[in-house]
Amino acid sequence: MKRREWWMVVMLSAVMVAVTFPGASFAQQKKLVLWTHWDQNPEFNKWYAEKGKEFAKKSGYEVEVVTIPYQGYDAKYLAAFMAKNSAPDMFMGMTHHWCGQYDFCDKMPADLAKIYDDNLPKYMSEVGKWKGARYGIPIEHGNFQQMYINVDMFKKAGLDPDNPPKTMTDFLAAVKKLTIADAKGGDPTQVGFAIRSKGAPVGITDKFLPFAHAFGARMLSPDLDRATGYANSPQMVAALTYFGDLVNKDKVASLAFGNPEDAFGQKRAAIIFRESWFFGWLKKNAPDVNFKVYALPCEKACPGAGALFPWTDLVYKNSPNKQVAWEFMRFISNPKDDMEHHQIQGILPVWTANLESPYVKSRPDYQSTRDMLAQPVPPTYFHPKSNELATAFGEAVVGVLFGKGQPKQLLDEAAVKMDRILKD
Amino acid sequence: MRQWFRIAFPRTHLDRRKRAGFLFVLPALLFFGSVFILPLVQSVIYSFYKISPGGSREFVGLRLYEKVLTDTTFWTAVWNTVQLLLFSVPVTVVLALAVALGLNRITNLRWRNLWSSMYFLPFATSLVAAALIWQWIYDPVYGFLNYALSYVGIPPQRWLQSLDQVRPALAAIGVWVRIGFDTMIFLAALQSIPQEYYEAANMDGASAVQRLRYITLPLLNAQIIMVCILELIFNFKIFDQVYATTQGGPAGASQTIISLLYDTAFKYFRLGDASVMAVFVFVTLMAVTLLQWRIFRKPVVY
Repeated sequence: MKRREWWMVVMLSAVMVAVTFPGASFAQQKKLVLWTHWDQNPEFNKWYAEKGKEFAKKSGYEVEVVTIPYQGYDAKYLAAFMAKNSAPDMFMGMTHHWCGQYDFCDKMPADLAKIYDDNLPKYMSEVGKWKGARYGIPIEHGNFQQMYINVDMFKKAGLDPDNPPKTMTDFLAAVKKLTIADAKGGDPTQVGFAIRSKGAPVGITDKFLPFAHAFGARMLSPDLDRATGYANSPQMVAALTYFGDLVNKDKVASLAFGNPEDAFGQKRAAIIFRESWFFGWLKKNAPDVNFKVYALPCEKACPGAGALFPWTDLVYKNSPNKQVAWEFMRFISNPKDDMEHHQIQGILPVWTANLESPYVKSRPDYQSTRDMLAQPVPPTYFHPKSNELATAFGEAVVGVLFGKGQPKQLLDEAAVKMDRILKD
Repeated sequence: MRQWFRIAFPRTHLDRRKRAGFLFVLPALLFFGSVFILPLVQSVIYSFYKISPGGSREFVGLRLYEKVLTDTTFWTAVWNTVQLLLFSVPVTVVLALAVALGLNRITNLRWRNLWSSMYFLPFATSLVAAALIWQWIYDPVYGFLNYALSYVGIPPQRWLQSLDQVRPALAAIGVWVRIGFDTMIFLAALQSIPQEYYEAANMDGASAVQRLRYITLPLLNAQIIMVCILELIFNFKIFDQVYATTQGGPAGASQTIISLLYDTAFKYFRLGDASVMAVFVFVTLMAVTLLQWRIFRKPVVY
């Protein structure tokens, strides 16, 4: 080979190395990387980076926050964790998922775990734990749905916004009054209830579960080992019939409205069920909506404070910086930062010490949160395969909404599928 | 072995030329091997194993094939994909051919290039971006399409949120994206047909339809087959626009085989099941392509 050819090969090799390993051998930046998919809460996410600057003064490590779009986030997380070298040091996720189904989480140091065990509200004590050990820091108190109502629409419909529906029967009567039908026979121009019908079935399950629990149903057996007899119980069939009728028979909810949060924010829907973060979202995105927040209506039972997605902050097991990551977690684990972090986005803080703070008391969901917490704790489904199970179940729910079949038939099919997933 | 040795350590001018040729194709070989062949082989192997998230594997023989191939969700996804394909492929090919024939008649090069570019632009657009724009067009409340249809008295439709309309609506996005690419192939082929054939046909008194039937279409046969195969492959592997618009909904009505594969592999981490699906896609596409090639490809000589 001539000298020029050798030079070409050497240069090409150098370029390939540079492209393949960007930055690895050229710069050693001291930073912790945190992944979150809470894209609806940008201020909350940004706070980690701001706090990271303070943390850098004592540790030398800054915090870089990467917001992964919610849609398909789990696949991106999984790919990164499998590949190891592109994974974050810290991430937001469900403990039973990432630490149970997978083994990607580092166990929380005992002293820090004790701090959380001592300072979390009782109902949250199991959030962030897997098989009794604490891995994650719960990030949202009030991570359960509550009833947001549009006060002006209530008044216009002749309803008292200070006397919200207390039962599902009252709820149906109210949403009927709040719905304005289309004169041409098309979709309603205003609906009583903003229903979730788009997107992944797992999310639709999450939005349906308060109805299921209100009708006294549960998705899985108490030991989380069986679906048949639970996912397709008579109570569940009644709940899904009620839910499907909101769209197909009573026509008080519409599948044409797309994103339910937008529909509520645009004053096209009078009631929505959402979590505490929705207060902050409304303040920022729809400040002219005059709303109040109440506990969810009950029927045979009360839905209670339960969540299908108990979000937590976790540390990646294979991170070379996991000790520093825990130090950062320790650095922000105090009531003051908890308050600042959540207040900046309009979310309810987590620490018990903050639950009676002026900020929390001034929120429109202060009383409703207390009311929800006073209800019996509903069933939880912290199973490693909760996503897959809730997807199979959600397919039945969405099938009913779109008139694909009858609730009993679709729930029977879902139960069989869920049992297969549980056994697999 | 000796050949390889001589390529590695050339002694003659011919050996050096061989080595140069080998070095030229080496990057493509490495790319193809690592991006296509290796994952394909890995998929076939994985399809016989149950893989746990920790990485441990258990050989299960054909059990995963039995599981996947008897699952109604899988066959629903296959049927959805086939329906999308049936909506999309014939329309794309026929429209692309019609557009190419029209463009071929434009004699002014500048105008032809301008029109060609306009048809090609959607192909150069990111599929996800295009899908998001179409999502807005199809929006039942705010969408442009329903707004336009209201002017001719057609009531609002649900498009992507309807069990019946979602597949044709997604197919239309595919047609819009692909038509430019297929048009370019047909246009290039049309321009390579010697004008003498048409002049001779004119002298024989052939009509425009006869010229199309007996000259243009037979001489485009190879391109039509190629475009059909490409469209078939593209539509069988449809994922981006489904993922960006409906995520398989509503109620699984647009769940395609690749979106199901994606969910199975990366949401539920059932790599073995997903590998079975990947093998199914590969075998099906290979069989259909070979069949199409064998049956429809006819050499045309004038």
